[in-house]
Amino acid sequence: MERVTFSVGNEGRQVFWNVHDFEWLLYAFSVVALAIFAYGLYRRWKMWTAIGKPEMRIDRIGERLKALFVNSLLQLKTFRELYPGVMHGLIFFGFLVLFIGSAVDAVEFHITEPFGFAFLRGRFYLVFSFLMDLFGLFIFIGIMLALYRRYLLKPDRLGYREERDNTPDDAFALILIALIVATGFVVEALRISVTHSPWEYWSFGGWVLAEVFAGADVRTAEMFHRILWWLHVFISLLFIAYIPYSRLLHILTTPANHFFLSLKPAGSLEPIRDFETAESFGAGRLEDFTWKQIFDADACTRCGRCQDGCPAYLSGKPLSPKKLIQDIKTHWLDRAAIAGKQSSGGGEASGAGEPAKTLTGEVVDLHELWACTNCMYCMEHCPSAIEHVPKVVNMRQYKVLTEADFAPELQLTYRNMENNSNPWGIGAHLRADWAKELGIKTLAEDPAVEYLFYVGCSGSFDDRGKKVSVAFARILQAAGIKFGILGTEEGCCGDSAMRGGNEYLYQSLAQANIEVMNRYGVKKIITTCPHGYNALKKDYPNFGGNFEVYHHTEIIAELIAKGKIALKKPVKGTFTYHDSCFLGRYNDIYEQPRTILKAVPGVKLAEMERTLSQSFCCGAGGARMWMEEDIGERINDMRTDQAIATGAGTIAVACPFCLTMLSDGIKDRKREESMAALDIAEIVWKAMDRDAAAT
Amino acid sequence: MNIVACVKQVPDTEAQIRVKPDGSGIDETGIKWVMNAYDEYGVEEALRLKEKHGGDVTIVSLGPARSLEAIRTALAMGADKGIHICDPALDGADAYVTASALAAAIKGIPFDVIFCGQRAVDDDAGQVGAMLAELLGIPQVTVVTKLEVNGASIRATKPVEGAQLLIESPLPCVITAQKGLNEPRYASLPGIMKAKKKPVDVKNAQALGVSAEAKLKVLKFVPPPARPPGKIISGDDAVAKASQLVGLLRQEAKVI
Ligand code: SF4
Ligand code: SF4
Repeated sequence: MERVTFSVGNEGRQVFWNVHDFEWLLYAFSVVALAIFAYGLYRRWKMWTAIGKPEMRIDRIGERLKALFVNSLLQLKTFRELYPGVMHGLIFFGFLVLFIGSAVDAVEFHITEPFGFAFLRGRFYLVFSFLMDLFGLFIFIGIMLALYRRYLLKPDRLGYREERDNTPDDAFALILIALIVATGFVVEALRISVTHSPWEYWSFGGWVLAEVFAGADVRTAEMFHRILWWLHVFISLLFIAYIPYSRLLHILTTPANHFFLSLKPAGSLEPIRDFETAESFGAGRLEDFTWKQIFDADACTRCGRCQDGCPAYLSGKPLSPKKLIQDIKTHWLDRAAIAGKQSSGGGEASGAGEPAKTLTGEVVDLHELWACTNCMYCMEHCPSAIEHVPKVVNMRQYKVLTEADFAPELQLTYRNMENNSNPWGIGAHLRADWAKELGIKTLAEDPAVEYLFYVGCSGSFDDRGKKVSVAFARILQAAGIKFGILGTEEGCCGDSAMRGGNEYLYQSLAQANIEVMNRYGVKKIITTCPHGYNALKKDYPNFGGNFEVYHHTEIIAELIAKGKIALKKPVKGTFTYHDSCFLGRYNDIYEQPRTILKAVPGVKLAEMERTLSQSFCCGAGGARMWMEEDIGERINDMRTDQAIATGAGTIAVACPFCLTMLSDGIKDRKREESMAALDIAEIVWKAMDRDAAAT
Repeated sequence: MNIVACVKQVPDTEAQIRVKPDGSGIDETGIKWVMNAYDEYGVEEALRLKEKHGGDVTIVSLGPARSLEAIRTALAMGADKGIHICDPALDGADAYVTASALAAAIKGIPFDVIFCGQRAVDDDAGQVGAMLAELLGIPQVTVVTKLEVNGASIRATKPVEGAQLLIESPLPCVITAQKGLNEPRYASLPGIMKAKKKPVDVKNAQALGVSAEAKLKVLKFVPPPARPPGKIISGDDAVAKASQLVGLLRQEAKVI
């Protein structure tokens, strides 16, 4: 090969310096490494495709590419947390830049240079060298942070209570990367110590290290350079070959999962369409999941972010979303191996054969399954876009619909919903009694209104909830909004049935409501309950119910902004606002309730530590409202403690379930004298100071 | 084992009961009809016996066309077939006529044990089970909270004032079910769907040869008197409130 000479003004470096005899050998080894990589990927591919029902996840490519860009390339979710964000960011962007750099290097060496165009020269080369060293250093720092965190800091999320998750693979992957970078720097240093090119201080890593070898004679340095170069090559190729067989596979599966993410509203579920002829409902076995639900498990990096905010886990229930996904993964690995063998034996790749474990009870413990509050924390914060909640609900569907084997108190709730269209089983004819003295018309009496106030079960039957309905109705009346209610024609929204796995009951309730709403030509709906809000807004369209749905905090915020209501009476005190999961994480309503509170004279707002998208569930979602909580601590008490810690005298809420749970928490903590939970509407109504006028 | 469970469709206990203006009955509009809760215990026990000893469960019900729903509910829980005694001539049947019709229907099929609820929550008469046993000429154990079946006999637990009776009886016999006997199951969805296709024999009085005459006649339905509204005691302090309370208890309630 022709030797190029570099000089100041024409800076550069000799590719394959000192090792150009080995060039062909390097390519030969690379082919072997890539073949091992490809074979691993092929095997994995067979496993991904072995089990799982079909599901459409390659539509709306544009949105998918955007998700891929934002989550994979920009790492936005990973950066939500400082330490792990920076740690992963250093490694990720380090690899990205080094990968691009190597590609640029290869393009020049193999494609452009033979045609006489070498662009890695001069200033470009210097900047290039600098960046390669800088990002190499980033990787190294990232790995050190990772090692320190995993093996010395030992955060809870990298384990499951007392057990650590650490596998040999974790350590091996980290050490492998650290060695690639370290040997890279040493090789560079040895080269610089021999070539002495004066501009090489741009390769600052190698430059500094070169000092160490300053005294060595050229031959020794060259020999060590060759040895270290081979070591570097070998470890790098080992890394590539190792990817599909290790946790490093997430380099591929996680971005793939970002691409395949659900484009449906948060936590929404595919409705069951065939009740008549299906023999089984929901997911009782792995084979009942879709390919994507299974692929999720392989994209999980065990980072544990989901677990860190899971109210079930933190309150001492056996559920951890990370463990749930990992248990499914372990089971999938077994099943896919069996399915793979059968398919290579010519049989159908169904994974059948020996009786497989049930998901519900064997792979996933039933206490885990029923502990989930559907709070959405896990899905909101999972950097790999894993969808835990639909899996939980699908498994519950199996227990409820197919096996009818679930908690007696929940059975009672469902019977009550069937017979009286409310979870308490209070006579359906009493639904509108809260409104008796308010002069509110039903749509049957006057359908020409702007809004339907869908009151919901809590607002209609629960004593505390009724007060919220009254306060909100009075606000609307004071603002001169034309609205009506459905009265006894209203039914339960069905949220608790759906989230508790009783899709059949849910759909019958939803259809009954939609039928009535459509009959009156309802267009706009307001709810005070985020569960009804979410169901009506996000799920009813599945069954022909297309309405504009508003939460009362959205309406009140607007009434204040437009000056339709005046908040003149100070409501003194420190308030802390508790984000309802179904309002916040499910529907992105974080601002309005806070804007309202800030508009109330005298209110001082204090945020809890877990707030906004990090908010801690009150414990009532996912049908947990109706179930006994007999393992670990009570979630509502924990949330109450978090509120107490702010020093607030009032917990402001925007959800009747939260209202009940936190009121109970205040009682449990014996704070009734000094603390209260109030709905935003009640606070606003107080501040409007119209009680005298209204009564 | 041939097991029979009798069920009655009744208004949901939370339903609003309005008496027709002429007092001839209740206004059925808006009423949610369900299976009588005590009958559910009977059905559940029947299903548990079937699961343990094999055999099949037949549901028998007397009532208007809507009663079919109650039969389907029991079939959804897992019963095998139904007999629906449906005849306008039997509307307003008293316990005696009902028991006669049930007896006539049950005589036509093989039976080892018959379950009834200890009473129906609508008229609270608690007679049908007992009469049915008499009409069939077999023993009965009523208000049962625990049941064991061994071969050709049963041992049943029945609570009585301050004690429990353990009663043994040969089969066939009639058992009337009390709360506590079991926790009735929630029907699975495949169960609900299958129930739609299970056979239900509809029979009228003539086909069964029932000619019993009612022994009781309901003269008139009257709603219970409206409860007077509660009083909230007001007063500036505890003493004032207490003295007002004492006054009211003396003069109005006349309890002290
Ligand atoms: S939805 Fe909430 S409760 Fe359920 S697993 Fe996720 S974080 Fe835990
Ligand atoms: S599910 Fe997501 S958040 Fe939880 S451990 Fe796996 S990758 Fe991390």
